[in-house]
Amino acid sequence: MSRLTARELTLAYEDRTVVHGLDLAVPDGKVTVIVGPNACGKSTTLRALGRLLKPKGGAVLLDGEELAKIPTKRIAQSIGLLPQTPVAPEAITVADLVSRGRQPHQAWWKQWSREDERAVVDAMERTDVAALAERPVDELSGGQRQRVWIAMALAQETDLLLLDEPTTYLDISHQVEVLDLVRQLNHERGRTVAVVLHDLNQAARYADHLVAMKAGRVVAEGEPEEVVTADLVREVFGLESVVIPDPVTGSPLVIPAAPWHAPAPMDA
Amino acid sequence: MTSTSVRPVGYGIVRARRGSFLLHRRSAAVAMVLLLVLAAVSVAYLCVGERFVAPGEVLKVILGQDARATFVVEELRMPRLAVGLMVGAAFGVAGALIQTVARNPLASPDIIGISQGAGALTVGAMTFGLTSYTVLPYLSIVGGVAAAALVYVFAWRGGLHATRFVLIGIGFAIALRSLTTLFMTKGDYLVAQQAQIWMTGSLNGRGWDEAAPIRWTLLLMLPALLWAARAQRTVSLDDDTATALGVRLGRVRLGLVVVGVVLASVATGVAGPVDFVALLAPQIARRMTRTAQIPLLCSALTGALVVVAADLLGRRLFSPTELPVGVLTAAVGAPYLIWLIVRSRTGGKA
Repeated sequence: MSRLTARELTLAYEDRTVVHGLDLAVPDGKVTVIVGPNACGKSTTLRALGRLLKPKGGAVLLDGEELAKIPTKRIAQSIGLLPQTPVAPEAITVADLVSRGRQPHQAWWKQWSREDERAVVDAMERTDVAALAERPVDELSGGQRQRVWIAMALAQETDLLLLDEPTTYLDISHQVEVLDLVRQLNHERGRTVAVVLHDLNQAARYADHLVAMKAGRVVAEGEPEEVVTADLVREVFGLESVVIPDPVTGSPLVIPAAPWHAPAPMDA
Repeated sequence: MTSTSVRPVGYGIVRARRGSFLLHRRSAAVAMVLLLVLAAVSVAYLCVGERFVAPGEVLKVILGQDARATFVVEELRMPRLAVGLMVGAAFGVAGALIQTVARNPLASPDIIGISQGAGALTVGAMTFGLTSYTVLPYLSIVGGVAAAALVYVFAWRGGLHATRFVLIGIGFAIALRSLTTLFMTKGDYLVAQQAQIWMTGSLNGRGWDEAAPIRWTLLLMLPALLWAARAQRTVSLDDDTATALGVRLGRVRLGLVVVGVVLASVATGVAGPVDFVALLAPQIARRMTRTAQIPLLCSALTGALVVVAADLLGRRLFSPTELPVGVLTAAVGAPYLIWLIVRSRTGGKA
């Protein structure tokens, strides 16, 4: 079952078409990872799934209803989205920023309910930023900041969560930390998560459902074990590689072909 | 549950019946202090003049008791004070709103052509013989809104880009100022003189009748301001994040800009383009309250304080010659503007 689907989706910036007639279903209760080379339209697709970009053709459907026809506040009660490079207002504190994730559940006369408080506390504890509550966001490290942003998206308490390259700019341990958090959220709350990632191996490790895109089209999708093959890596990334089982998880691990080296002298 | 520790830090929560309201504690404290200072300066303003009136007398007049100074205080100084307070507050709020939307402290109505639009139409009307300050403010609103619409249309390119918005605004400001000068040279001598003083920003001769347009506008805008204060919380986030939180960003921004433009225009109509108040007040207020967004109420109070204090100085500094209030706000404002620009060059964020 899929609450969030795309039907014949065509996306364009001005007159440059980036995504062509894409059909996609984000399976409920699973972690879906979208991968592909630079400029393949993966982030663009995610933006459209989160109504940040209006489709040129086709539609994104939430529970069968066209996204463009649902009031944006109601969408925000079902879909949370963390953009690629969110910018915090200057001098804002962690707790203040996280609490702004409650916006879609609030109204002018209901600015801070006990429900809001519970959701914010919960989000901050899960992302391990409760101790930073009073710190200004601009003083935090990259990894901490990313956790704060994820906390904000969590405080929104939506069944669907879209994350656009949440590991970019993070070092490897913070990348793992963030992705583990995503998995944990999915597991403990049954939340549906769709993530755009750069790294194919990370994608294969964390995805229940993997979507490989190239030039605005879905090339393959399914369980990582089925999708990630040497043929696919060649087709999608134009890279020769060997695919072996990951020694830790057993998921497919892509080893690029041997690095360049000086050709051996022909004759001696 | 360990809940008490994590509410938005620095906020108090006011619960009433089924409603709940967030209150930024430091902003509330700053507002109280500003109110007290404003009250003190206002009393001083009423005391000081060609003839000094003792504070005790002034208080008697305020409380409606019979006093010898009633005429001087109630009919001459008080309306001028009221106009100064309202003009300052209107400029302060207008600056806060437009700076918030543009995410740029330079995007205040006196820089990006709104005051100049209001000015061009007002001076144009003066040259056609319309010189009453009870009518001119309404024309100013038309001029300011028209100028803002032009800037908006020209700056729009699939979205509103802050820098583009400011640059195009500055372009329009220069063009409209030239137009104003042209009107002045076409008008007769007396009109040109009135226009000249008005262009500097002056509260001279403003009575209760002249206070009416801005009073009505402020009253009408009050509900919008209550809405705006909350809308600022999400508009100050980046576009994608705000949209993801279910904010109709385009509409909210337009709403904030319209309120800001109307307030800046009406204030310009009453007192002329009192330079730099709209630019300064929100920035000063924000530095005092240390909020993540520009605080509306404190911007209003700061604006009022700047205008009234500048006018008090202007009235007495070179007495009996009076300096127009705009001269003094500009004298404080210009160095500050330069400081802001230098600072933003060296990496400080807006």
